[in-house]
Amino acid sequence: MKNKIKYFLNSALFLIMLSNFVNGQSEDQCFKCHLELDDAESKLFKTDIHFTKGVSCAGCHGGDATSEDMEVAMSKEKGFIGVPIRKDRYQVCVNCHSDENKMKRWGSNLPTDQYENLKVSIHYQPSFNQQGPIVDCITCHSVHDIKRVKDPASKVYPTKITALCGDCHSSAEFMRRYNPALPVDQVAKYRTSTHGMLNAKGNPDAAECVSCHGSHEIQPVKDSRSLVYATNIPSVCSNCHSDAKLMAKYKIPTDQYDNYVSSVHGIALLEKGDLSSPSCNDCHGNHGAVPPGVESISKVCGTCHVLNMELFEQSPHKKAFDENDFPECESCHGNHLVKQATDEMVGTQKPAVCIDCHSADDDNKGFVVAGEMKKLIDSLKTRDSQTKVILDEAGQKGMDVSDAAFSLKDVRQVLIQSRTTIHAFNLDKFKEQIDEGFTLVNKAKITGEEAIDEFYFRRIGLGISTIVVTLLVIGLYFKLRKIEKKA
Amino acid sequence: MENGKKNKSKVFKWLDERYNLSGLIDFAKKKSVPKFRETIWYYFGGVALLLFVVQVISGILLLMYYKGTEDLAFESVYFISTKVSFGWLIRSVHSWSANLMVLSVFIHMFSVYFLKGFRKPRELTWYTGIGLLAISMAFGFSGYLLPWNELAFFATKVGTDIVGEVPLVGEPILKLLRGGEDVTGATLSRFFGFHVAIFPGIFVILLTLHLLMIQRQGIAEPEDYKNLPANEKKTIPFFPNFAMRELLIWLIVINILAILAVFFPWELGTKADAFSSAPVGIKPEWYFLFMFQVFKFLPGEILFLPGEFVGIVLFGIGILLWAIVPVWDRKTSKGGKNTILTYFGIFVIIFIIVFTILGFILD
Repeated sequence: MKNKIKYFLNSALFLIMLSNFVNGQSEDQCFKCHLELDDAESKLFKTDIHFTKGVSCAGCHGGDATSEDMEVAMSKEKGFIGVPIRKDRYQVCVNCHSDENKMKRWGSNLPTDQYENLKVSIHYQPSFNQQGPIVDCITCHSVHDIKRVKDPASKVYPTKITALCGDCHSSAEFMRRYNPALPVDQVAKYRTSTHGMLNAKGNPDAAECVSCHGSHEIQPVKDSRSLVYATNIPSVCSNCHSDAKLMAKYKIPTDQYDNYVSSVHGIALLEKGDLSSPSCNDCHGNHGAVPPGVESISKVCGTCHVLNMELFEQSPHKKAFDENDFPECESCHGNHLVKQATDEMVGTQKPAVCIDCHSADDDNKGFVVAGEMKKLIDSLKTRDSQTKVILDEAGQKGMDVSDAAFSLKDVRQVLIQSRTTIHAFNLDKFKEQIDEGFTLVNKAKITGEEAIDEFYFRRIGLGISTIVVTLLVIGLYFKLRKIEKKA
Repeated sequence: MENGKKNKSKVFKWLDERYNLSGLIDFAKKKSVPKFRETIWYYFGGVALLLFVVQVISGILLLMYYKGTEDLAFESVYFISTKVSFGWLIRSVHSWSANLMVLSVFIHMFSVYFLKGFRKPRELTWYTGIGLLAISMAFGFSGYLLPWNELAFFATKVGTDIVGEVPLVGEPILKLLRGGEDVTGATLSRFFGFHVAIFPGIFVILLTLHLLMIQRQGIAEPEDYKNLPANEKKTIPFFPNFAMRELLIWLIVINILAILAVFFPWELGTKADAFSSAPVGIKPEWYFLFMFQVFKFLPGEILFLPGEFVGIVLFGIGILLWAIVPVWDRKTSKGGKNTILTYFGIFVIIFIIVFTILGFILD
């Protein structure tokens, strides 16, 4: 039944369009009459892009626009449909906007995939009252006063789109019908962001909803097809932030994306597919995106690196960094190009970052502590590998040292914890932590050495017993010969 | 020294008065063993006896820590091998000694066969010997499962499967051995029971009978030696000559055993998991390998009968013929030479050696 209605509507509309096209030059009697009646829609329609392109009222509503007789013009026979019903009204738009040839005939180069994109988007799901899709063309583009997208008067013009999206997305009452868990503060946040502030000033360059989420093809954030899915975000942001020409206007560098891609976070997210790794929005915010301030960097990094943040805040560095306006984590680890932290970052020789501020010249305490920490880490690592060699040797000798080998695995954990403890920049605390590793290594080493000693003890024991038994054999042999000779 | 001798004689007198030790010594002095070029084979019975004693002692020591349940068997053997003082040595000695014991029993059996020691009047000694060999192999089969490792688990599965193919009684025996349809913890408990209680009991009874019969009838003389004129029959006294020779060989065996146990400690492998797939290259202990290999070579069907069934019947007939050799070998018992018997023996040895080697080489 639905298909039949659709088929009927399509056929009727096509005939209307065709007749309209044939009589394109003739006067639009519908518009003329309705304007004379001071009809609001007609007044709006005067500035509508469709009107300027020559699309008559009948183009959407059907009927005969050339007939002066109202009965004829608005007769069913002439295909008049009146106000299209909510459920299928998008068909009116689709009839032309999905047909490349028709669009060309109207002198338009607009793409014709909007409906195809809309069909698969989250917005096209049926509305709660089953009155068609949640969002159709008219919901965003309005009706009778549709403007070109690039026209500042358009409802979907970059500086207006936030308000348009906010009509639904800022309404808790509306949103809870579809997704009660979805926040409704995006517009409010956006207004606090650098993008939002520029946008509010009427700057169409600034990213707004569509710049990141797309338009017709919008998907839920957790859908991998979404433009703002975690792994897609870096490239979405780079659309503008890697555009040297655009960024030059705002004196913003454009190397963030390249740096991020080769950073430990970028590799984890983009190469390993680790969704827990931060993308641009995890540090800068999404709707409320701003560069994190100097004081808040450790908090931002600390959302994931909790312990490091807590330890840093207790450290003597906190006060010194605050006083000198040093960005916290960033001072040692960098920002977009955060590399895998290595033990070489600590110490008193290049490439240690400690020597960027601390030097040996003035018997600097930080320099001494950095050297000591590095020495302890290196020492534990060396003793760990030496112990592994001992345990391997014991294993190759057939001795069971699996318990010791297993406990040695905890050294790795101690090293990880010690590397975290470094952020307190407190030597006593660090020693307390790393000493656990030395205890483990010493225990395992003793076990390994004892196993090797046991191996040689077995060999020596065997040797002695073999000699004793062999001597007995020889003794017996001679005794026997003696006895048998006597006999 | 003088005092020592005096004391010794006092003790001896005390014991002699009560237990007539002099009579025993006189008996021992008179006891002799025929001396001929094959005398060396006489020692393997003694070697098997020594190894049985080693098995009993090391087995009792293992029992102090071993736990015969599905959950704890593997862990307890691991504990014995790694934590118990000299546990590794005792376990290794027990495993190696078991293998050497089966080997000694085999050599002893073949030597008795070729020297025709089974002929009248020693038929019962032969039968008890066959029983002792069977129990030795059963000891090995049941003991192999006790560490409850992967190899043992699947080898037991295959081994008991073959038993299940025996006509008529196979299925009930299979269930009796496994304690159910499959090899499970019940099988382990059963094998543990067999290994430490039932088999030792039967073995000791058979061994006692075996030794008593030898003692009563004296050591068998080979036909060639028996037919020699009395003045040409050389003998050696049992005490001290033969006993010392035996002791000498025992010491050599102990040395070999210690070297094997220390240099080639018995591996434990991984714990058995009934749900894992059978590892590649499952093989039984070497003394079952020739039978296992023959079964692998058998086609699925022989003359409309299942291959394994035919194999079991043929093996059954072969083993029965071997066991009852005193019955069908009339010629030897009458003093004649039975060359068929010798050829049959040689054939059996070659057969066992060839198929055992094939079993080791082939996957």
